[in-house]
Amino acid sequence: MQQNDKALLSRLKDRRVEFVIIGGVCGVLHGASLVTLDLDICCRFSRENLLRLEAAVKDLHPRHRLTANKLPLELTDELCGSLKNIYLNTDSGVLDCLSEVSGLGDYEQVWKQSVPHRMSFGEFRILNLDALIAAKLAAGREKDLDAVKLLLAIKEKRAQQKDLF
Amino acid sequence: MIDAETLAQMNGKYVCPPDAGPAWRAAMEYGFDMSLVEDALRLTPEQRLEQHQRALDLVLEVKEAGEHYAAK
Repeated sequence: MQQNDKALLSRLKDRRVEFVIIGGVCGVLHGASLVTLDLDICCRFSRENLLRLEAAVKDLHPRHRLTANKLPLELTDELCGSLKNIYLNTDSGVLDCLSEVSGLGDYEQVWKQSVPHRMSFGEFRILNLDALIAAKLAAGREKDLDAVKLLLAIKEKRAQQKDLF
Repeated sequence: MIDAETLAQMNGKYVCPPDAGPAWRAAMEYGFDMSLVEDALRLTPEQRLEQHQRALDLVLEVKEAGEHYAAK
């Protein structure tokens, strides 16, 4: 399984999944020189949106990667109502979907602290730099705090060079 | 004749920009290669994503090779 973030993002976009890019890939898009092995998103955990998410990755053999038997992603109304997060392995890599982000709040809060970002394969929302820093601080793991050092440096550089993104 | 400073830079010495602020210096002193960040900031976000994908592909290739080697 090769991680292909662009392929995953394109699929989510094509299926009109409501989501915001968070985590390491968000850091990369802001300019952090880090390598991350998964794609983290925060998405609306409504039944409709989760079904769109399922449809987006359906042919990629999605499986709940943290379950003992790697259960396939097969959403039901009951599951849609009880899931808070979905951690998936797919043929295009790992896709972790969260309903809320520590330090920021639920999807609505996350969306408010995100910015639109146009790429050749679509427009996506990513956490703004301050929100990403707050999320990393709240997560508090060593790797997150390391990333914060880099993100603070980028924030400082951006304040000096207004044309930077 | 290469001067000592140039030689040091060829050997990996990073020259901190004179206008670097405290956060930039802190990240540098922590051990981050800030020249990579400078390079990344010259790219568009999409180019950063593509660069990350290439780095990730390499990491996974090396990891796979290591697992192959360990299995032998």
